[in-house]
Formats: sequence, structure tokens, C-alpha cells
Amino acid sequence: MIRQLLARLTRRSAGAPIVPRHSVAGRTLLMLITIMSFLSAVTLGGVVLVQKSAIAWSADVGREMTIQIRPVEGEVMDSNLRTAVSLAQATPGVAAARALSIEESQALLEPWLGAGLDLSAIAIPRLIVVQLADPVDADIDQLQRNLQAIKGASLDTHAAWRQQLNTMAGTVVVSGLLVLGLIGVATVLAIIFATRGAMATNREIVDVLHFIGASNKFIAGEFQGRFLTIGLQGGLLGALLGTLFFVLIGTAAGSVLPTEATTQVGFLFGNFVLGLDGTIFIILVIPVIAALTAITSRMTVRRYLSEAS
Amino acid sequence: MIEFSDVGLRYGNGPEILSDLTFSIEPGSFHFLTGPSGSGKTSLLRLLLLALKPSRGKVTMLNEDVGSLDRDSLLQMRRHIGIVFQEFRLLDHLTTFENVALPLRVLGQPESEYRPNVTELLEWVGLGERMHALPTVLSGGEKQRAAIARAVIARPKILLADEPTGNVDPELSSRLVHLFAELNRTLGMTIILATHELPLLDRFSYPRMVLNKGTLTIHD
Repeated sequence: MIRQLLARLTRRSAGAPIVPRHSVAGRTLLMLITIMSFLSAVTLGGVVLVQKSAIAWSADVGREMTIQIRPVEGEVMDSNLRTAVSLAQATPGVAAARALSIEESQALLEPWLGAGLDLSAIAIPRLIVVQLADPVDADIDQLQRNLQAIKGASLDTHAAWRQQLNTMAGTVVVSGLLVLGLIGVATVLAIIFATRGAMATNREIVDVLHFIGASNKFIAGEFQGRFLTIGLQGGLLGALLGTLFFVLIGTAAGSVLPTEATTQVGFLFGNFVLGLDGTIFIILVIPVIAALTAITSRMTVRRYLSEAS
Repeated sequence: MIEFSDVGLRYGNGPEILSDLTFSIEPGSFHFLTGPSGSGKTSLLRLLLLALKPSRGKVTMLNEDVGSLDRDSLLQMRRHIGIVFQEFRLLDHLTTFENVALPLRVLGQPESEYRPNVTELLEWVGLGERMHALPTVLSGGEKQRAAIARAVIARPKILLADEPTGNVDPELSSRLVHLFAELNRTLGMTIILATHELPLLDRFSYPRMVLNKGTLTIHD
């Protein structure tokens, strides 16, 4: 039943394979296709991870703005802070606005100035964190205009940071797709060489098939069947290894790195969890590689037969 | 059935291997094709098998001008021609049954349909007990009978044999020619059997096509 199904799928005639299994450099080709599938799976998985993380970062950053109040001579910081918070809260689309306390502001400066310093004597800028209910509906221009009434106040929408983030993520995605394309080209070239080798090795079989009235289409189907089987096996192995790679790297990142680093890496790559879309992409590697193998071998065989006749 | 008119054949820019071949073969006839080594027997058989195109002249087979046929029509016509080689050319990784069934697989017949016919033919050529054996364990005579069975399983109208007795002893040679004669008589196949074994020719009274230095004469 499975043999018949595979025969139908590969357009190969049912029954014993006319192209002997050992006559195609099967093991070498299987290893090569497995490696190519693994590289494709890892590249695709990496692209998905970066893309998903970039979207998540961008969404998080886009939902938050910061109002900075710099100390200005003659101005009362606390009063300005309250006014700015009120203005922010009154702005349409803003969910919440909260001024960071002196302690929180000092904590932000600790990485640069060190811990345990008394900063009460220094006038440091104060920050107000503004949470947006919906970044699209928020009237940021109105808030910007209103804040002009407060001396030393400025609004940071993180637009530049988001722009850089999107550019970086886009570059990684395009590079990944380029690498995928190159892997595809290398796979096609390897299959062409393997097919031509198989044709040369099986020249006698091809001649006999011609003499008994086989069409080029029939002969190509027989070779395609052999290569599709190798492509399916290689694709499956590569995709399995790729999935295993992400499971291992996720586990290793959680157990080898210190907790702080794990948090940072997790923030960057989402704990290497591929999710449903990433898994689907990796599973798709199997039919794509198998189809690429079968189509390339079929075209190569038909071209070879046309040249020979 | 087969008609050659002023046919010539050369390979590339070389001299003519076959010159001015003009003859016709009637349906259901049996001819020996003979001549010394290098006289062009195999080239003539390749022309008859449509594996080569003549350099000049006209070849008509089964009432069709071969020169005017496209690739698909040539393929269809080739399916009416069976061929037996001196070196058997069986596929060593397939059993005797699978080798003989190959032309029917090529035609797209399912195994359930061709199995009884192949089994019956193998019994007829005396290979019923050996149908699951690989060619590597068959004797020369068994291999040649398997090759003949493969050539006739799809009931071709024309059967060509290129030195089919070249690799077997004289006793077996004679039995193989009897097998061809039986196929000619019972199935009405047109048979052209190439051989250079004169004692074999003398044992049978079929017409002889004699090739010498690329020219052909027919002795009835």
C-alpha cells in the first residue's frame, strides 16, 4: 500500500524499483540533503525567532513613552511632574502615567554612577512613564504641544529606537532568506551532479528501457522516484535535527547561562521557543526539499535523455 | 511490413556502412540475417529497431514512412518491435519474472493484469521454476530464453534478434532457433535473426539476407 502510494506520488511504476537502490549515490546524497535540510531548518527557525522577537519588542516599546523633565532654574520639579502627569493622563489613548520616584531614578543611574551614592544634592532629570492603551489612537501630537508649556519637558516616543530595531530585524530576515536561497541553489547543484552520475552509472538500464519502448517520461519517473525517496528521508532527518537543535539550545540557554543573562537572552530571543509558526516552517522544509530533489532530478534526467537521443 | 528503398547509412562524415539497401519483408516471415563480422548486421538491426536514422533513402515500417514520424509516433512504433541481444541485457537486480514483465510495466499495465500472462510465457519457454531467480544465477540458455520472453511478452509484430545464439553451445543454439520458429508459427511474428553461424543456417530452410561490405542480397 505504502509502496503503491509512493509510486503514485513519484509517478514511478509500481513493483520492484527499476533503478537499483545502490546505483544512486544514495547514502552520500542522503547525508548532503540532511545537512542542507538542517541548515534550512535552523535558518528558518532563526529568522522566525528574530522576526517574532522584533515584533514583540516593537509592540512593547510602542506602547510606552517617556516624558523627561530636566531641572530648570526657577522651576519647581515636583509641580512640573504633577502637571506633566495630569497632562498625560488627560491625553486621549493614554492608559496610565506615572512619575518615577527619586529612588527609581537613582536606581536607573546606578549602572553608571555606582551604588550607595547620595544623589539628593544633585538635580537629576526626572522621568514619567506613559503607558498607551492603543498606540494608534493615542494623540501624541496633542501631548507634545501641551508639554511645551512646561519648561524643560520633552517627550520621547522611542521612534528612533523602534526604527533601528525594525531595520536590524529586517536585515536579519533578508540575510536569512538569502542564505536559504543559497542553500537551495547548492542543493539543486548537488542533485544535478548526483543525477547525472546516476544516469551514467545506469546507462545500460536506460538503453534497455529505450529498446523495450519506454518513453523519456517513464524513465525520468523511475529516477525521480528514487530521488524523491532520498529527498523525503533527508528532509525529515534534517527537520528533526533542526527541531532538536532549537530544543537543545533553549535548554542550554536556560541551564548554562546565569539567571540575569538568561533573562536578557530570553528578552532578545523569546527563550528560543519556536512556537506553532516556527514549527510549521520547519515541517515545511520536508516537502519543499523532497519536491526540490524530485523536480531537479526529473528535469536533469529528461535533459540528459534529450541530449542522448 | 518492412520496406527499404535505396537506404544508405554512415556514421558522421565516415564512409557508408550500408549502401543502396532495397528490400521488403512480408508479414509473418522468418529471415536469417548473416554476413561476416563488420558487414553491418548490427547497424541494419539498429535501423530496423528505429535506433538509427538512415543517411539517405526511405524506410517504411507497418505502412508508415519512418522518416516522417515525430518522436511520440516513433516511440509507439518501437513498441511493435521486440529485440533480443547476444549479451541478453537483462537487468541483474530484477528477477526473471520482473525482467520479462518490464515491457508491460512500461506500457502501464498493473501487475494483477500482467502476472498470469508473464507466468504463462515463462512456463512456455521453460523458465516456470526459475521465475523468482535473479539473472546472475541463470545459465546462458536460461538467460537467453528470459531475454526472448521479455522481447515477445508485449506481442510485438516484428522480432529482431542480434546473434542470440552467440553465447550458447551449438545444441542450445538449435533449440533457441526452434523457439523463434515456434513464435513465428504460433504468433505470426515477423522475425529477423542475425547470426554468422553457418552450420545453424544450414539446419533451417528460412530465407537468408546476406550482408557483405554494406550491400545486401536475399537468398530465398
